[in-house]
Amino acid sequence: MRIDIQKTDTGEESIVIRYHEPNPLVDRIAGILRNEGNVIWGRLDDVSVAVKTDDILYLESVEDKVFAYTLDKVVRLDGSLNTFMQSCDETFFRCSKSMVINVNRVTALKSLSSNRIDACMEGGEHILISRRYASEFRRMLKGER
Amino acid sequence: MKLDKQKLTLWERYLTHEIGIEFKACLYFFAILFFYCVYRMINGVFNADMIHMAEMILACYIIGYIQVFLFNNFDEADKLGGREYAGIAVCTCLYGLVSFFGNWFDRSIFVSLILAAYILFTYFCVFLIYRSKRRIDDKKLNEELKLFQTEHKKSE
Repeated sequence: MRIDIQKTDTGEESIVIRYHEPNPLVDRIAGILRNEGNVIWGRLDDVSVAVKTDDILYLESVEDKVFAYTLDKVVRLDGSLNTFMQSCDETFFRCSKSMVINVNRVTALKSLSSNRIDACMEGGEHILISRRYASEFRRMLKGER
Repeated sequence: MKLDKQKLTLWERYLTHEIGIEFKACLYFFAILFFYCVYRMINGVFNADMIHMAEMILACYIIGYIQVFLFNNFDEADKLGGREYAGIAVCTCLYGLVSFFGNWFDRSIFVSLILAAYILFTYFCVFLIYRSKRRIDDKKLNEELKLFQTEHKKSE
């Protein structure tokens, strides 16, 4: 794909996309330009799809593959949980080695023995916040992080 | 990087377990000491044998280890299952046996059995106390969660 970037001194700044057939790359660029909020891109059945970060309930890393779970779909993301954590906002919390939860999509918390916490997500899933991460989670809720 | 710093070292993990077990040992030691003192006073004796007290604290410490590492730390468990009930039975029997062979109650099987029943009751009370503590913690956690979510939605 050819990229032309031209400086203009007059008129409104604009971007024109020319394509033969709609394709995931064009959709992705258009999505970014339309400023559709915090969106991440992943693959669902080999099709590139955009997922709003607010819609993500949690992310799970399984054998070096990262999956984002929303209420109705599971999308495979590129990169690792660490990469995601570097770019996401403060509502996402690393709750174990292999999981990240969206705290805004937690419906209830339950204190468990050995200082662990059970987080019930909007979809009804229960995710365990391990002892190692529970203290940090408590600090986060108190706004001390 | 931040998480690496937060990662518990082997020493810290050991210390966490050790403090938990020592706390448990102290708790049950005082419960047994109370029973022992009541027994002594009923029999007109107003002093406690230091050897018996040393045996008690040692027994509580060792049984504390058994409780934590073999039986899922049953008095702090979220719910009681087969392994927890087995733990309660084994640890109660151990206290009864140690009290009998340690001659804490003049080798009286009857008093050792009463001690076993008392230990059972104590385990149950401790289990309920920890459960109540977690329920209070649940409320606090959920209040903080709602506050966090409200604040975050406001800032969006």
